[in-house]
Amino acid sequence: MPMASLSRWTMSYFAAALASLLAAELLMLAGFGYPAADLTEPATLIVVHVTAIGWLSLAVAGALLQFVPVLVARPLAMPWLALPALLAIVAGLVLLCAGFAALAGWADWPFELMPLAALGLFCGFLLLGVMLVATLLSARPVTLFAGFVLVGLACLAVTVLSGAAFATILSGRSAWLASVAPLPDGLRFHALLGFGGWLGLIAFGVSYRLLVMFMMAPELPARQVRLVLVFGGFGMGLAVAGLLAPATGIEIGAGFITMPLGALAVASAFYGRDILTLYRSRRRKALEINMLASIPAFAALGLGLPLLPIATAIGGWEPGIAALTFLLAFGWLGGLTLAQLVKIVSFMTWLETYASRLGRGPAPRVGDLVAMPRTGWWFALYYAGVAIAVAALAGGLASGFRLAMLPCLIGTAGIACELVRIRHLSEIKAEQRPSLHERPRLLLARADERRMPHADNRTAETSRA
Amino acid sequence: MSASLERLVEIALRDVLDPEMGKSVVDLGLIYAIAATPHGAVAITMTTTTPGCPMAGFLKAAVAAVAGSVNGVTAVTVTLSYEPAWQPTMIAAE
Repeated sequence: MPMASLSRWTMSYFAAALASLLAAELLMLAGFGYPAADLTEPATLIVVHVTAIGWLSLAVAGALLQFVPVLVARPLAMPWLALPALLAIVAGLVLLCAGFAALAGWADWPFELMPLAALGLFCGFLLLGVMLVATLLSARPVTLFAGFVLVGLACLAVTVLSGAAFATILSGRSAWLASVAPLPDGLRFHALLGFGGWLGLIAFGVSYRLLVMFMMAPELPARQVRLVLVFGGFGMGLAVAGLLAPATGIEIGAGFITMPLGALAVASAFYGRDILTLYRSRRRKALEINMLASIPAFAALGLGLPLLPIATAIGGWEPGIAALTFLLAFGWLGGLTLAQLVKIVSFMTWLETYASRLGRGPAPRVGDLVAMPRTGWWFALYYAGVAIAVAALAGGLASGFRLAMLPCLIGTAGIACELVRIRHLSEIKAEQRPSLHERPRLLLARADERRMPHADNRTAETSRA
Repeated sequence: MSASLERLVEIALRDVLDPEMGKSVVDLGLIYAIAATPHGAVAITMTTTTPGCPMAGFLKAAVAAVAGSVNGVTAVTVTLSYEPAWQPTMIAAE
């Protein structure tokens, strides 16, 4: 049986993701975008895309490159595509932000930057999708976990294609597209498919597997978990219908968005019940920082997703919808991602450094690489900032929102520093650190050098002389 | 002779610690079987918590090395098995 190995470029994905999050928080702290600007103005769209693509998508992509092979027990297909995918996505994002700047009139750049950006993002996500789909389908039967990721990737495909259409329309290069996909009605479905389908459903699916592993909890019955995929997938199907409706001439009405959101909220209710079960049935009683710091994220999901369809059904309460969207993006998805980054980075670093010492004398544990309780305080700051920001958005307090981004930014910067310290083995006693040239590199895992000689065999043999 | 050798190997394997939990592979229930011949050849059947575990190769090598260091052991074969699949209920009670 082939053995999953370390994903060489995952740390680079995480670094680009964290840089994007810090950039988004700095922009919001500076008063850039909503609530100072309208929701559909270029400034807001820059912040939204730096968050969605730069931060969340790159972090999720980096995690998937490491964990999909582990969870399906197959090596990553075409791993050499990981770097081109990262470069294409980052280039696409930079061009997209430049395109929005041109649209806003801040720079005298051509509007053709928009379709060029769409091309970069399309190529990058296509390469990512090819690697992940090929890996997932190399394992038979296709598991429920793979189902979540495949549906998530399908949502990503629709999000990227619809985004490319919008970019082309905004550049003024396609009157035909503008006639069949009028803006801004499609934007809500585009955003829902990105945040709810690509990022949300994959967060659901991956967390089922990771929580079982990290907390030593018993697997949940597949029929129970399938409900989450069925309702989530149904909701995303409705979102695709909403996105395509203008092209078919069907009038769906402004309230239609409530239906896919409602289906996603039902999925999240089943998911919440399952997560509670996993926490309660865990064999590992002492919770590590990644599982403790995930609790506010799950609370944000439990509060935000049931209320969002209600807020949209009522209609007209833009600050409330913005506050709930922020809660889900930064509280649930952002908080959960930050929390699991700490675990993934420490686990990968341990694997690179100490796995070969197993059974050959004392070695630190994975948890020893993380500075505690300091890391916990950074999370407390981050979540406090998110909570204040949500309240400020709901209350329409623009200056309060800006101030709230300060603890968010400090918390994120603190967590980023802790991740760098984990890579540098800063918490480990000097005598337990390997020599300098054997230590983990910050952005690049030593994937090949640490591969075991017996990795591809089921049987290891030794004999004594 | 072989039964006591199997016991000695099991005791030695308590030094192979899982880096997450700090428990030994024996206490985690990862060692399914240890069989020794009268000539000191030891066959170990073990598992990992998940089939694609990135530590599988390292765990297997560590178990082989530790078992091979036990006095009286002449050869070690370690086989990974996922039948039955590992369950958290296999963890020994504290």
